[in-house]
Amino acid sequence: MSTSKQPCIKELSYKLVEFAKQSGASHADALAIVDTGESIDVRHGQLESIEREDSRGVGLRAFVQTQQGLAFASASTSDVSDTGLKQLAKQVVDMANISEPDPDSIAPEGANHPSHEDIQAWEVKYPTQHHGWDTHQAKEAALACEHAALAYSNDISNSEGASASFGETAVAYAASDGFAADYTRTSCSLSLSVIAGKDESMQRDYAYDRARLATTLASPESIGEEAAQRTLRRQGAAPLHSHNTTIIFEPRIATSILGHLISAINGRNVLQKQSFLTDTIQQPIFPDFIHISDKPEHEHGMGNRLFDGEGTHCKPMNIIESGVLTGFLTDRYAAKRLGTTPTGHARRGLTGDTGIGTSNLILKPSDVSVQAMLQDIGEGVLITELMGFGVNGVTGDYSRGAAGFLIEKGQITSPVQGFTIAGNLKDMFANISHIGDDLTWFGASAVPSIAIANMMIAGEK
Amino acid sequence: MLRFFDSKEMKDLKPTNNIITQAPTTYSVNQLSQRIHTYFVLKLDATFLPSKMRPMSTSILSIAPETLTKMLNTMIPSDADDADLYLQHSTSESLSLEEGRVKHVSASTSQGIGARVIKGEVSGHAYTDRFETSALMDAAQASRAIAESGKMRAPLAIQPQACQHQHYTTVNPMQHMDMGARKALLEKIDQLARSIDSRVQQVFANISASFSDIHIIRMDGIHLSDQRPLVRLNVSVVVEEGGQRETGSAGGGGRFDLTRLIETNQAEQLTREAVRIALLNLDAKAAPAGLMPVVLGSGWPGILLHEAIGHGLEGDFNRKGTSVFAGKMGKAIAAQGVTVVDDGSIQDRRGSLNFDDEGITTQRNVLIEDGILVGYMQDKQNARLMGVAPTGNGRRESYADPIQPRMTNTFMLAGKDNPSDILASLDEGIYAVNFGGGQVDITSGKFVFTTSEAYYVKHGKIQYPVKGATLAGMGHEVLQKVSMIGDDLQLDPGVGTCGKGGQSVPVGVGMPTIRVDALTVGGTQA
Repeated sequence: MSTSKQPCIKELSYKLVEFAKQSGASHADALAIVDTGESIDVRHGQLESIEREDSRGVGLRAFVQTQQGLAFASASTSDVSDTGLKQLAKQVVDMANISEPDPDSIAPEGANHPSHEDIQAWEVKYPTQHHGWDTHQAKEAALACEHAALAYSNDISNSEGASASFGETAVAYAASDGFAADYTRTSCSLSLSVIAGKDESMQRDYAYDRARLATTLASPESIGEEAAQRTLRRQGAAPLHSHNTTIIFEPRIATSILGHLISAINGRNVLQKQSFLTDTIQQPIFPDFIHISDKPEHEHGMGNRLFDGEGTHCKPMNIIESGVLTGFLTDRYAAKRLGTTPTGHARRGLTGDTGIGTSNLILKPSDVSVQAMLQDIGEGVLITELMGFGVNGVTGDYSRGAAGFLIEKGQITSPVQGFTIAGNLKDMFANISHIGDDLTWFGASAVPSIAIANMMIAGEK
Repeated sequence: MLRFFDSKEMKDLKPTNNIITQAPTTYSVNQLSQRIHTYFVLKLDATFLPSKMRPMSTSILSIAPETLTKMLNTMIPSDADDADLYLQHSTSESLSLEEGRVKHVSASTSQGIGARVIKGEVSGHAYTDRFETSALMDAAQASRAIAESGKMRAPLAIQPQACQHQHYTTVNPMQHMDMGARKALLEKIDQLARSIDSRVQQVFANISASFSDIHIIRMDGIHLSDQRPLVRLNVSVVVEEGGQRETGSAGGGGRFDLTRLIETNQAEQLTREAVRIALLNLDAKAAPAGLMPVVLGSGWPGILLHEAIGHGLEGDFNRKGTSVFAGKMGKAIAAQGVTVVDDGSIQDRRGSLNFDDEGITTQRNVLIEDGILVGYMQDKQNARLMGVAPTGNGRRESYADPIQPRMTNTFMLAGKDNPSDILASLDEGIYAVNFGGGQVDITSGKFVFTTSEAYYVKHGKIQYPVKGATLAGMGHEVLQKVSMIGDDLQLDPGVGTCGKGGQSVPVGVGMPTIRVDALTVGGTQA
């Protein structure tokens, strides 16, 4: 897939803002997105499917001024002809006139935008590169990945197939204060899931990697071998008895803890009391060895960004310093309501209001090896898989299905499954007893292993 | 997987939220690596399905028939087993109330065309939302990238064929209730919720509706079309007492006109239900931990079937031998008396379709009959490879997604037991009346689903409500532990969204009250 076929999307987004104003909007901002890419699936050494993506969309948020404040609406379409854009503009303005005004609503103007120099410097530092794959190369990578797993052991009995994908997304943002900017992101990914055992003793697991460029992706062989190893070690998984113990989340699973934190300190959720951390600013919510930061620029992160979904210039933020929550994450609206400065965490899709999201989120690792962590813990359960949605964002109550390995006398021993882990996130945050030195990147977040004391396990025995 | 979203979760669906382990970019949706690490989740929601509403200046449906014929004749190699074009034009509208105001009104229009060629186990799929002839022909060419033979099929002409039956209205569900009326309904919900109890602190309500115009042009030139309405109302509240906060939500919908929400008084019922659940949760105590008997209520608790056996009985996983149910046809996989069906032809239901996304008429498919596995759910490709007939379960989220065998409305038939006798049979255990979402690993059979309304029961009597707990079991074992089946079959209120391989489709579930002799209850109370 070539990278050359970029329509001028910055112009599209800018035009849409102009059309909104012509239709009677007092303020507006717009997004334009073009996605192209391919996904190739192989299974048992044969091509299984090729999918090609080619899609575009524009989204508009338009505001109308009323005596009670600004009211707004949003809509999206894939019709980017001038007629289509004008129709969209009129539709959104009509809908904004139905919306209820909000005295705290904030026009998409006057955000702390990056300067022209900032934008130029960013483009020099992060030039748009080709992701580096074509259909054939991606297919070869997928085949090599699956082959590595199947060749790893005769006990790998089946394959769900390997999938290689590549593509690029071009995004443009324009606001009625004249700010307009665009960027292009590339992505390659390779994943594989394999099965060991047969009939009712089958186990499956997977491995994957994602990167901006094919050249920085983990090798197909390493992904294949990791999938095989992860699957093989689960064979013979046994049930557990119910008991209270220390658990360790391996890095892949530990990312979910960051996700629950971000949701609870999302300024919009806090305003709506949809959080169990509403009154915790400057309070210790983790032990003092926990430091969590959001970095809009990082060499490994896939979340690099110069500006957020409202055009606010993104800056690094130390979210948790020595266990203490430094502030909620805000867009301009949440910041106004909370009486703080916007932190540059606005996220937008083609339709809807702005939400909150991070760039590259990093939990600082310790210098304690995982082996030393295990020794120190002695007895517990290593969690390598979580299932289900038993997390209540309002209360922090937590109950999820899990699978993993027993930790006995400081060693990882036999596989276990079919149990649940339960507690409350507030307690779980406070009860983190160790973090490892094994910082691992997953797209836009990086975490080490995390040990949490005093978790309730419910099992079949 | 199947999931019911409360309004907070609905917000989480927006691409504005950072899903840490998945696509890290704000705007691009890269479902590619998700295929593996999301498994299959059933969600209880509808709101953000693509839907559409307004006349397009350039409509996918205005593509000239000659162009479509040219596409078909370009893309189908002589050795193809199957091929089709899928045209979709969808509009959706959503109004959301929070803090007493309808602050969010949004709409989207999406349209495009997917071209697909299948040969044996291999498929090629390309799609575009551009309608220039060159873009369309590019897509047609790309879809046949899998073909080895350069030879083409003989050209053919497109012939429209009328739909045989209608399981829902073909009228745009938004047409008879304008945005002003929807806004007024949301405001009434807010007032009602706050008037029921002074502990109600926050009310979130959402009305969403979509209308999708689908055209399928099959390899034999037959052109089928369907108009699919879908509406959904969701109410969720936060209550507060003495510094303690809790939440409750309720939703309903289906393939019918928005005005039915008013005519059936559904808005009021859902509001009262959301407040009731939130207040009940204020009194909830810790759930027990461990293996115990569980009585599941009727209706949405049918999510058990969706997770425990539904996904495992989809044709693709059985053809590939990756399901724990592979090779079990004709064998007992459930207790005697357990009969489970998947039926996409029920009037007005959320999971219903006049025909599936390959143009196969939907029907009632028996999956388990009196405990014996008798049927899988199939799309055309997997049916052909397994040597059976397709069952009308070939579905796709949109023109941009590949076909998968999927569930429609999945439920257990009624038994003979009186529901109150079933509860009375519980010496000590949990009575679970309502659930959030669930998830399954079809290979090992492990599944989970999480309660949103449940009670601790002792000596056959409800003792107290318990906090949300995840229930866990093995899909190939759990239905063998069903010891009582109620006479009160009920379908869910129209709230389920099923996720598989990154695609979400609306589904229904249903069940009578049943007793399961042993499930793992994931509470915190030892």
